[in-house]
Amino acid sequence: MTGTEAPPRVIYDSTVTAVGSQVEAFLDHGILIFFADESPAELHDMSVRHTAAVAEEGPQAGDTMVLGEHRMEILAVGSVVSDNLLQLGHLDLKANGLTEAKLPGDVNVATQDLPLLAAGDAFRIVRGERRTTEETA
Amino acid sequence: MPEYKSVKVKQGRGGWGGPLTITPTDAKPLIYSVTGGGIHPVAAKIAELTGGEAFDGFKSSAPFEKIAVAVIDCGGTARVGVYPMKKVLTVDIHATSPAGPLAQFITEELFVSGVKPDDVEPA
Repeated sequence: MTGTEAPPRVIYDSTVTAVGSQVEAFLDHGILIFFADESPAELHDMSVRHTAAVAEEGPQAGDTMVLGEHRMEILAVGSVVSDNLLQLGHLDLKANGLTEAKLPGDVNVATQDLPLLAAGDAFRIVRGERRTTEETA
Repeated sequence: MPEYKSVKVKQGRGGWGGPLTITPTDAKPLIYSVTGGGIHPVAAKIAELTGGEAFDGFKSSAPFEKIAVAVIDCGGTARVGVYPMKKVLTVDIHATSPAGPLAQFITEELFVSGVKPDDVEPA
């Protein structure tokens, strides 16, 4: 700690309200799709729905994605992600390990098994969080 | 009873698919905007030129069988597939190409992308 660093800041804080019946099938492709609770009905099957208490900014590379008990570093963010998230509560999370977003709506994290979320779980984005890897480096 | 006209929607710069010809009917009157910030200008123009009814999918829900065209601002994964999968004509504002788990449903007969209001013309 240098003492000049800003403390971690929660830029988006939401709570899962429902998990659609097709979400698990998308998890097999390393994809989690989020939409706001009030999104159109045809999107519900494929989506994790949620209701945001804090929606200040969209994510940037280096931010931390918090999903329930899981934390992951955001590696890349596509050009329309911020609008999607702030206007529609929409985000396409992809566990593909890519450091460049292939599609404009993509948010990439390391290749891993993404969690099948449940109602009540956190969906949060934190900026400026120090990571274990940096601390031990 | 309203009289409906047809429009042709072609792909914009960097876009994919189409052109689509869109003609609302009494059974399918809705120009369904599933976009951030209300009815998108592309949806508004399609509604104006065809006589269809502009409809904000994030304000209230509509049955699929009433949708003449879905206008989306999808970044490539979810909405690009949902509407073509149900055989609903789909116009994406963003210049996306078929991708994601639903890519198999996205065909040039059903989908056009990169569309701006200027890409919508009377047919």
